[in-house]
Amino acid sequence: MSLAQRVLLTWVFTLVFLIMLVLKLDGKVKWNWFLIFLPIWVFDGILILMLAIKMVGRCKPGYDPRNGSPELRLRAWYLTAMLLKLCFCLTLCAKLEKLADVKLSFVCIPLWTMLLGALVELGLNIFPERREA
Amino acid sequence: MLFSLRELVQWLGFATFELFLHLLALLVFSMLVALRADMFTPMLSWWLVFVPLFAADGLSTYFTAIVSIRLYQENEKRLAMLRLLWVLTVLSLKLVCEVLLCKKLAEQEQARDLWFGLIISPLFILLCISCQKCMSAELQKWEMKSQKNDEQ
Repeated sequence: MSLAQRVLLTWVFTLVFLIMLVLKLDGKVKWNWFLIFLPIWVFDGILILMLAIKMVGRCKPGYDPRNGSPELRLRAWYLTAMLLKLCFCLTLCAKLEKLADVKLSFVCIPLWTMLLGALVELGLNIFPERREA
Repeated sequence: MLFSLRELVQWLGFATFELFLHLLALLVFSMLVALRADMFTPMLSWWLVFVPLFAADGLSTYFTAIVSIRLYQENEKRLAMLRLLWVLTVLSLKLVCEVLLCKKLAEQEQARDLWFGLIISPLFILLCISCQKCMSAELQKWEMKSQKNDEQ
């Protein structure tokens, strides 16, 4: 997929999600919170599928894992981050729908883990020479 | 994930350090929101909860100003102005959205007329202009590529 296609995909899903969120918050619609988050579920599903396919491609017979080991590790981290985000959105929806009586701090734990991981990844990119040392 | 860090920097127009700063601010902000929601601490006002986001915007503006001045000194005047304009537009739209949301949360009774469609509208504008920016850059690249192919 080219950059323009990926940007367009992100744009469409974000726009639909924001419109549905605004309608719900302003009380124009009485939809379920899980339905409001539908663009997020679809977008995350597409991303996880794409990542899983790429990772499975690396595991085919005859592929030397030493060639792409750092890249595979990065993809494994991306998959973990996506699952953490999905977990956060699911628990948030459950809390908003009052299906589970959990504190917001517990709901946010997957989000914080994901953000901390992203910060470490970005930090390592800001100081690449220290990564090699 | 869907975008590499290089593509993200190219699309958003922010440096990696600025992305790091905004992500850190988001982390602290989410912690403060959770603290306020769970502890019901009246001491922690909504304006205080939003401080990390405002601070990140301020620091990002300062960083951009310095980078633009240095680019200007190195005779990259056009690039300096473009970068300054773009980042200031993005940051001001983000700030407007944050201030409106904070006002809505802090003064729920007085801010009843402030509907969420209005609060999120800067984000809609931001989404549209960032998408348009990326598309035009891609189109330029594609045109240059097709021109090269024609010449060959």
